[in-house]
Amino acid sequence: MKIINILLVDDDHVDALDIKRNLDKTMLLYNLQVARNGEEAIKYLEEAGDSNLKPYPDVMLIDINMPRMNGLEFLSIVRNTDKWAQLKCFIITTSEEDVDRQAAKKLGISGYIVKPLKLNNPSSMDAFNLMIDLMNV
Amino acid sequence: MKISNLIFISIFFILLLFSITTYINFNQSEKVRENATYFSVSSTFVRQINELQRNIFNMERSLRGFLLTGEDFLLQTYDSTRAVNKTIFQECASIAQQFEQKERLDHINELYDLWINEFTEPVKMKRLRVDSAMVSSSNFAKLYPNDSSAKNEERIYKNLQADFSMVRNAEYKNRENNREVLDLSEQQTKIISFSLTGLSIITGFVIAFLLARHISQRIFKMVKMANSIANGNYRAYVVDKDNDELSKLSYSLNYMADTLAENISMLQRKNQELDQFAHIVSHDLKAPLRGIDNLAGWIEEDYGPEIPERIKEYLALIKGRVSRLENLIQGILTYARVGKETQVNEQINVRELVLEILENLPIKKTMNIEVSTEMPVFYSNRILLMQVFTNLISNSVKYHDKEDGKVKIYSEEHNDHFKFSVEDNGPGIAAAYHDKIFIIFQTLQERDSFESNGVGLAIVKKILVDRKEKVWVTSAPGKGSVFSFTWAK
Repeated sequence: MKIINILLVDDDHVDALDIKRNLDKTMLLYNLQVARNGEEAIKYLEEAGDSNLKPYPDVMLIDINMPRMNGLEFLSIVRNTDKWAQLKCFIITTSEEDVDRQAAKKLGISGYIVKPLKLNNPSSMDAFNLMIDLMNV
Repeated sequence: MKISNLIFISIFFILLLFSITTYINFNQSEKVRENATYFSVSSTFVRQINELQRNIFNMERSLRGFLLTGEDFLLQTYDSTRAVNKTIFQECASIAQQFEQKERLDHINELYDLWINEFTEPVKMKRLRVDSAMVSSSNFAKLYPNDSSAKNEERIYKNLQADFSMVRNAEYKNRENNREVLDLSEQQTKIISFSLTGLSIITGFVIAFLLARHISQRIFKMVKMANSIANGNYRAYVVDKDNDELSKLSYSLNYMADTLAENISMLQRKNQELDQFAHIVSHDLKAPLRGIDNLAGWIEEDYGPEIPERIKEYLALIKGRVSRLENLIQGILTYARVGKETQVNEQINVRELVLEILENLPIKKTMNIEVSTEMPVFYSNRILLMQVFTNLISNSVKYHDKEDGKVKIYSEEHNDHFKFSVEDNGPGIAAAYHDKIFIIFQTLQERDSFESNGVGLAIVKKILVDRKEKVWVTSAPGKGSVFSFTWAK
């Protein structure tokens, strides 16, 4: 089984931990890197290579509300940069706003997951599990 | 020009026209009066002239009688008549109204004096000197002057008679002329006063019409503007280029609209800011809260069996507080969002709507819920009506203190609105709290003991107040509560 390189773009450390805990509960083999906002994520992508320290991501999980550069701005830059345009991206956010959802869909995403990821929030868990399935493809 | 000045000038002009009419009529009546005086004087004059003529005839006759008979009373008649004539002459001279008549009168007077002095007086004197006995027809003839002088006397007498009739005719002629002049001026007066009166009426009518149109058109414009403002268009203006009281009014209206527009747009901006504020604050508050919740959950997950009972209890308290804060934040968001959704009206079957709500509410099986079958079907905003009913019904179920509690939902139809009520036989609410319960975050339960965010009734109130409807509660402790609200048809 192949190791999936994931770049998580989220400014909230606890949220990042939460995602990690949820990933751990799956059978996924992954390598998680975290950038705390869009700017950091761009910097990471520019520097990423084959090394284990900064592997080029197979998948990006992007939060929307972040300081300096938010998720949608970041995603738009990614889609407008040829070498990154084909990257598989998921939005994972607290925002339930339709505006955000539509904007994200226009920028080409593979899934939109609303936090928190909890058993009592089944639609979110379904979306999360679907994401895991899509990562394995 | 000021409207008051315009009205003043118009009325002044009309009054002026009426004054002229009155003056002309007064003048005419003066003329009529003068003519009447003239006429009476003229009558007197003619009467005097007639008397004079008759007197002279009498004098002639008396004198002749006296000459024949020598009777004294005839002489007395002659003398007294002569004396009377003197006064009549004076009187006539004083009342003669034309210069020509005076001249004619003078001429008569001269002839008369000539007649007296040359004939009657000498004859009278001669006769007085002659004894009456001597008088015979032959002697009588001698008394008279010779033929030529007798003829002279006759001529004078005839001239006198002719003069008299001339004076009379002239007087009649004058009267006639005066009459004609008077008639003519009366005719003119009639025409002038009729046309002036007509002119003032027309002028008055035209001015009144123009003024009314001028004023009403502008007032109509202002009314239109005021209505437009009332309908929410605060950018309405009245264009009024005149310079009078109404222009001042329209200036004030424009100023008012300006101020109103400014205040309204400021209000809208503030409202928008407030909405955004509520939204942003809620989201920013939620994130750390979720973190706390996650962390507490992970402790339980990772160290479940090893955790001492007290820590478990604390963790439960943490989660309870977190969930309460989440409820409050959710409440703020819901409250801020009320009425922000697009307002769509649709057909509502209220009974079906209530049944749908009941299906989705967690209700104990033992509760007895009764929905009236006499509920209206009408056209309105379904989402808002549903929010109101949901909050009221869920409150009466949630706060019910009896296992087999009853809740009744029914309506009453009025002229232009419905009155809906949600009635329960629950604990009831003391009158002191009847207003307080509609304020956000005011709940009558201890916060720890009950799942209530204190927003439900505030939302109900906000929805109804925004729609200019009323909501009230009738309740007393131990006697249940009736929450009623109105909803326009």
